[in-house]
Amino acid sequence: MIKVRDIKSNINLWSILSLIFIILIVLPNLNIFINIFNESNQNWNHIKEYLLKDYIINSLTLIMFTGLFTIFIGTSLSWLISVYDFPFRNFFKWGLILPLAIPPYIGAYTYNGLLNYTGVIQSFLRNFYNIQVNQKYFNVMSIKGAIFIFTIFLFPYVYIITKSYLEKQSSSLIENARVLGRNSMETFVYVVLPISRGAIIGGVSLVILEVLNDYGVVKYFGIPTFSTAIFKTWFSMGDIDSAVKLASILMFLVFIILILEKFLRGRKKYSYTTSKITPISRKRLKGFKGKLAFSFCFLIFSIGFLIPTLQLIHWSLLTYKDILNIRFVKLIVNSLSIALISSVLIIIIAIVIANYCRLKNNFLSKIYSKTTLVGYSIPGAVISIGVILFFINIDNRLYWVYKMINKNSAKLVLSTSIIMLIFAYIMRFLAIGYNSIESGFEKVGNKFFEASRTLGMGITETFIKVDFKMIKPAILSGFILVFVDILKELPLTLILRPFNFNTLSTKAFEYASDEMIQEASIASLIIIIISVISIYFFYKAGNKEEV
Amino acid sequence: MFLKIEGLKFRYKNAKEETIKDFSIDINKGETISIFGESGSGKSTILRLLAGLEIPSSGLIKIDNDMIVNDKNFVLPEQRDVGMFFQDYALFPHMTVAKNIKFGLKYMNKKQKNHRLQEVLDLVNLTGLKSRYPYELSGGQQQRVALARALAPKPSILLLDEPFSNLDTDLQTKIRKELKKILNKTKITSIFVTHDREDSKSIADRVIVLNQGKIIDKGKPKDIFKS
Ligand SMILES: Nc1ncnc2c1ncn2[C@@H]1O[C@H](COP(=O)(O)OP(=O)(O)OP(=O)(O)O)[C@@H](O)[C@H]1O
Ligand SMILES: [Mg+2]
Repeated sequence: MIKVRDIKSNINLWSILSLIFIILIVLPNLNIFINIFNESNQNWNHIKEYLLKDYIINSLTLIMFTGLFTIFIGTSLSWLISVYDFPFRNFFKWGLILPLAIPPYIGAYTYNGLLNYTGVIQSFLRNFYNIQVNQKYFNVMSIKGAIFIFTIFLFPYVYIITKSYLEKQSSSLIENARVLGRNSMETFVYVVLPISRGAIIGGVSLVILEVLNDYGVVKYFGIPTFSTAIFKTWFSMGDIDSAVKLASILMFLVFIILILEKFLRGRKKYSYTTSKITPISRKRLKGFKGKLAFSFCFLIFSIGFLIPTLQLIHWSLLTYKDILNIRFVKLIVNSLSIALISSVLIIIIAIVIANYCRLKNNFLSKIYSKTTLVGYSIPGAVISIGVILFFINIDNRLYWVYKMINKNSAKLVLSTSIIMLIFAYIMRFLAIGYNSIESGFEKVGNKFFEASRTLGMGITETFIKVDFKMIKPAILSGFILVFVDILKELPLTLILRPFNFNTLSTKAFEYASDEMIQEASIASLIIIIISVISIYFFYKAGNKEEV
Repeated sequence: MFLKIEGLKFRYKNAKEETIKDFSIDINKGETISIFGESGSGKSTILRLLAGLEIPSSGLIKIDNDMIVNDKNFVLPEQRDVGMFFQDYALFPHMTVAKNIKFGLKYMNKKQKNHRLQEVLDLVNLTGLKSRYPYELSGGQQQRVALARALAPKPSILLLDEPFSNLDTDLQTKIRKELKKILNKTKITSIFVTHDREDSKSIADRVIVLNQGKIIDKGKPKDIFKS
């Protein structure tokens, strides 16, 4: 039975705004589902008959092998770092996160430029040793190359999550295994892998979602996958219905992955030990073993960060005279300002919804928080389609208003503006901001809020005077994470940007696609530097918390 | 009757049983009531219901003849004029003692605020500490700040959740005496929660014994704690 009183006590600024935000997030996604059942046209029949199989096979191949390799590299590194001591361990501990600073599409064309006929390596072999290599082994522009790129730049997801899980484990676990006469390798296989299953799966599913979201790498390498297919059917063929159908199949795939993740991870969350435990005492690796551990870490660090960065720096030195001009400054301003505006909006929306959810903690609020989180699993291509349909729909409905304001108004106003792109960023990255803010609220708890209410302050006043001040660190870290992600973002920006609007990432990608790899380097380096700074910031902040 | 509670029922969202079962009581102006019971009997929950931090599933609460909550009405916590002293103090860590205490004085001007601050600081014997932060205070001092903060806006009812827990025995006796003095001085209507019979005996005008959300006994402390 619903009581008038309960309705009254539930209606306030926060609940109304939350509801509006949630509806705005859900509506574009509904567009996808509503259009699935549109009648299939000839083009769709063609796609289904000749192309769909390739899309599925390619996408599955990419996620399967990337998944396997990132598990291998990510877990072995996290194991090395958390239980052994060897030269430069402290550096690698955070240095191995750095490949994450390089977006895979930048990595892709950097490695192509590095390895192709005119690249450093082949030129070097040719000029100094007169060796002509078989091009077959140096061609990264293939599905194998894409797997290599994804693996080397995305493995840190597995590494970070598994490492922080292992660090929270009690030393007794591993020491027990040692006492039972297991050697390190056996301990790893029979003890560590099974217990950190949840963490590994959590990490690898992030990797897989990133691979499915990717457009830059597969497009650049010319691999037909769902992302590229959706773009092509929509923009080259103008076939909205088929694009939506492809998008919904891709969503279905994502859905299966999310269910698999839940299922495989089991009940255990990956941070279930909260009480004080004796941390693992690290074993010193001496001599050859120490060198081996160092070499492995250094190899991965070099391939994933050092080499591509050095290459980009080299190209920057070659091209900066032509690139650095007023147009480039405008590019930077574009990038930073759109990232700034979107991040601020995301943080505000995240705060509103998170505050509402923690105060209400009921069925509805659980749905809200799930809805907020779901955006991050939806690939960019799918979000784009939902958002475009949504905005064209709004434009159609508002045409009469536009005409009232300006008699000669174009029909499409919002859907050709930057607002559409910002809207899509919000859908995709809200989850990241929300996660931060939510954990900030969790840390603070409700008691200060309640104390403030009994001292005569309303919800909003309490937020301004108490909660906001206390969750500031969470707000800051959420903001930085979102900001950097938007700066790196490619697929949404490529599709949804207004005509002639470029950001660092789209410009870099355009240069690379136009065979001007060297010219792409400065824009890429700026993105990487900002990402590195934010990773460093989090490494520092993370360390402080551990103490 | 100053405070009237009738047939109050309440259940936490994931609890199987009702946490509060049919709780009724009338309290006169200026009375000091003690709710006594074991851990988990629902003492804090009663206070939360009174403060408006939880909504009862049925029953009513009236303060000074104003309906605070029933099936149709719900007065928000900030509009209830009820002061609350929290079991773990809940002092705002980012504010000084003075800021904490002045927090609830939003309708006063600066001069009035400072005046009131001085008044309550004197009352709880904390005059020298107003520019410290909560983490710079001892447990007993924090506890007094929390009391001062709750008293500062002159609420019509003061709710105290285990005001003597977390303190060592000597301090407990001392503060008990002080609190009794303060409650007498301010003539405030108050309800305090405790699981220590000494507390109830020495401060309360009347005691309510709570067990599993039900009142199992009530009366003068000397009658309740005969044995
Ligand atoms: N937020 C909550 N959600 C679900 N159950 C709760 C919640 N808070 C308290 N409870 C349960 O309600 C019952 C009464 O709790 P309450 O805090 O009122 O007890 P109490 O008498 O104050 O105990 P104590 O002396 O330990 O403070 C307990 O069984 C408790 O487990
Ligand atoms: Mg209690």
